[in-house]
Amino acid sequence: MNKKITELEPSTSRKRRRDEESEAELDNDDDDSQSLSLEENFTFSDTLMALRMMRSQFPRTEKVTVQPFVLRSQLYSSLKDRTQVDMELESLRRDRVLRIFKLNTGQDDHAVMFMDDYINQIERVVKRMEDKKQDDIRVFEWFKIHVIQSKLDTSIGHQELFSLLSWGGKVREEHISQLINAGLLIRQLIDQNMYWFSIPNIGSVLKGLSQGRKEVLSFLNRRKYKEMMLVSLEKKRLRLSPLDMRFHLRDLIGSGHLKTIQTPSGLIVKIAKD
Amino acid sequence: MWKEIKEREFGNVRPNLFSSRISKSRVSSIQLSNYKEILSSHRGSVNSLQVDLTESRYLLAGASDASVAVYDIQRATDHDERNLIAKHKPLFVLNKQHEHGHKYAISSAIWYPIDTGLFVTGSYDHHINVWDTNTTQVVMNFKMPGKVYRTAMSSIARSHMLVAAGTEDVQVRLCDIASGAFAHTLSGHRDGVMSLEWSTSSEWVLITGGCDGAIRFWDIRRAGCFRVLDQSCSQFGRRQPLLLRPTTNKVTNFKSSPASQSSSAKVRAHHRKSANGSALKPHTVGRISSLVKTAKQRSHPGMLSSHDRATAHYGVVTGLKVTGDGMYLLSAGSDSRLRLWDIESGCNTLVNFETTRLQSSKAIQMAVTQDSTLAFVPCMAITKVFDIWSGQTKSTFRGHYENVNCCCYNALDQELYTGGNDRQILVWSPPKFVSDETGEGKNGKAAATDDQDNWSD
Repeated sequence: MNKKITELEPSTSRKRRRDEESEAELDNDDDDSQSLSLEENFTFSDTLMALRMMRSQFPRTEKVTVQPFVLRSQLYSSLKDRTQVDMELESLRRDRVLRIFKLNTGQDDHAVMFMDDYINQIERVVKRMEDKKQDDIRVFEWFKIHVIQSKLDTSIGHQELFSLLSWGGKVREEHISQLINAGLLIRQLIDQNMYWFSIPNIGSVLKGLSQGRKEVLSFLNRRKYKEMMLVSLEKKRLRLSPLDMRFHLRDLIGSGHLKTIQTPSGLIVKIAKD
Repeated sequence: MWKEIKEREFGNVRPNLFSSRISKSRVSSIQLSNYKEILSSHRGSVNSLQVDLTESRYLLAGASDASVAVYDIQRATDHDERNLIAKHKPLFVLNKQHEHGHKYAISSAIWYPIDTGLFVTGSYDHHINVWDTNTTQVVMNFKMPGKVYRTAMSSIARSHMLVAAGTEDVQVRLCDIASGAFAHTLSGHRDGVMSLEWSTSSEWVLITGGCDGAIRFWDIRRAGCFRVLDQSCSQFGRRQPLLLRPTTNKVTNFKSSPASQSSSAKVRAHHRKSANGSALKPHTVGRISSLVKTAKQRSHPGMLSSHDRATAHYGVVTGLKVTGDGMYLLSAGSDSRLRLWDIESGCNTLVNFETTRLQSSKAIQMAVTQDSTLAFVPCMAITKVFDIWSGQTKSTFRGHYENVNCCCYNALDQELYTGGNDRQILVWSPPKFVSDETGEGKNGKAAATDDQDNWSD
């Protein structure tokens, strides 16, 4: 995996100060990063570092069948300046380091995935289709080589898809149906001729995402003052979602449903009233 | 304050720098007014507010109970006992009982930009009425095919008197009040048009935002729109860099088109070429012929834009506001996003305004200060003040009991008026110290009250 290495610093320390400026490598530190609490590394200074850190903290259990991705709202909660986040995401997207996908779990939800992870995910899907002995998987190669590299947006029109795939060979309607069945493209509801790009096999994770959000919000709503200490909230396990509590907290704080208040005994998470 | 006046007197500070400093400091201290109150006589939610453009003295309000009222915001109609709060009652109210009044909710009420002798109201009863202010009679009436969502007149127009109307029909209609007939219609949107604004730099350019999420720029002198804003087309920073092209994906579309391509892809490529070429404001009619030559298509070049399906928001575009200098456009959508667009290049400037939710069923009216540094946006029951360039929330104004629909900024006095679903019009202004008022009160007797104790015996 190609990572931009600006400063090598083995992260053997378990605690990270909030205003630490240097970038660190996290290759072998999955165990360490799992045990780092949310309170200690809540904010980052750089979008790419935040993305890598959150990618390494993505839960990898058997229930989660998808490569790590980060939600845009999680980035907003971890960095101070949202405009800066948007601009850096845009420049990283144009450099083809990552891709952005629009999710259907509610208004304006976007998932950010590194390009290599996305290619891995496509290859997994292709291998599964190969095992099932389905013929004509050439369309996936054409998709990987021609469409993904040149079309960097979140959606694509039918004519443009056809013309880009024809670089690879003769395209038929069945090829496009294959792409839709594999989960790489989704038809748009408002417009028949436009497709959203999507991450294959993400369905169960998205269901867990929306149910987990509801669970966290209802748990806090049931409490007397609709708030709880971040440290103890983080230790709770979620019943309905395979994703961990830290993932959901970052997402809800970034989208504005929860807010954090600094108190002498630590951070408190509260339901936002507006 | 006195120090600054002395600086201006000695010539250290230019007069307009002096006045902009004063107004900036006043704007940053805006809060719920402690000396002015508007007694709203509406029985429905206030949908539209506008201060007149000539003297900034009269506030026109349109409400959901088909009532229109005009308030004089510089002169109070009465004061309360201790002379502390000035109350402003409406000068007149026109409601359903009026013989030619509207029957259903009024969605938009605007002044005639040249003087306050006329005003135009658009309503959900499919009519646009032009009223004479002094006689409060309807002088002209236009029937629309659907509910009127918004009307607008250009404040810099010198050669036309067109009212642009956005309705639930897909076409935008231009009504001419000089002749009483419709001038022409602009087609291109695929759903109703909820918000529209005239450009502040050209009297011929109209900007519309539709329920399909698209924002289109129209030059009313020719057919079709000349630009559709696309949220994926973005630039970094306030202005386009001189050398680099804004979008890399558009360039690769040209390169990666194989020989055997369908005609609509060609249409799109040519449309983009011509749109980039005409990024400067179209001034002469001669441009139309050059576009026809480069397009080489059978369809009219004005109708090329109907193929362009770019969206500016993922939902309905509920509000548009052009900054005073005509360079930037602020748009609000029902996807709860506010976007700032550079009008010259048509790109999204990627400034992120933190909004949790914006109301999605009704149009909202936003306001921008005169020097384009602050934007006032109604977000549900509060009004937020954003710094336009960093997207940070400078302050929030809480006062309404229900959703806020419209806000209007008066640059002369640095006051903000907001109207909401709770039928109230609230005034937000820089604070005036109470002791100043009592000092000027009833003939010097009040001067003694400053020294008196506040004990209750």
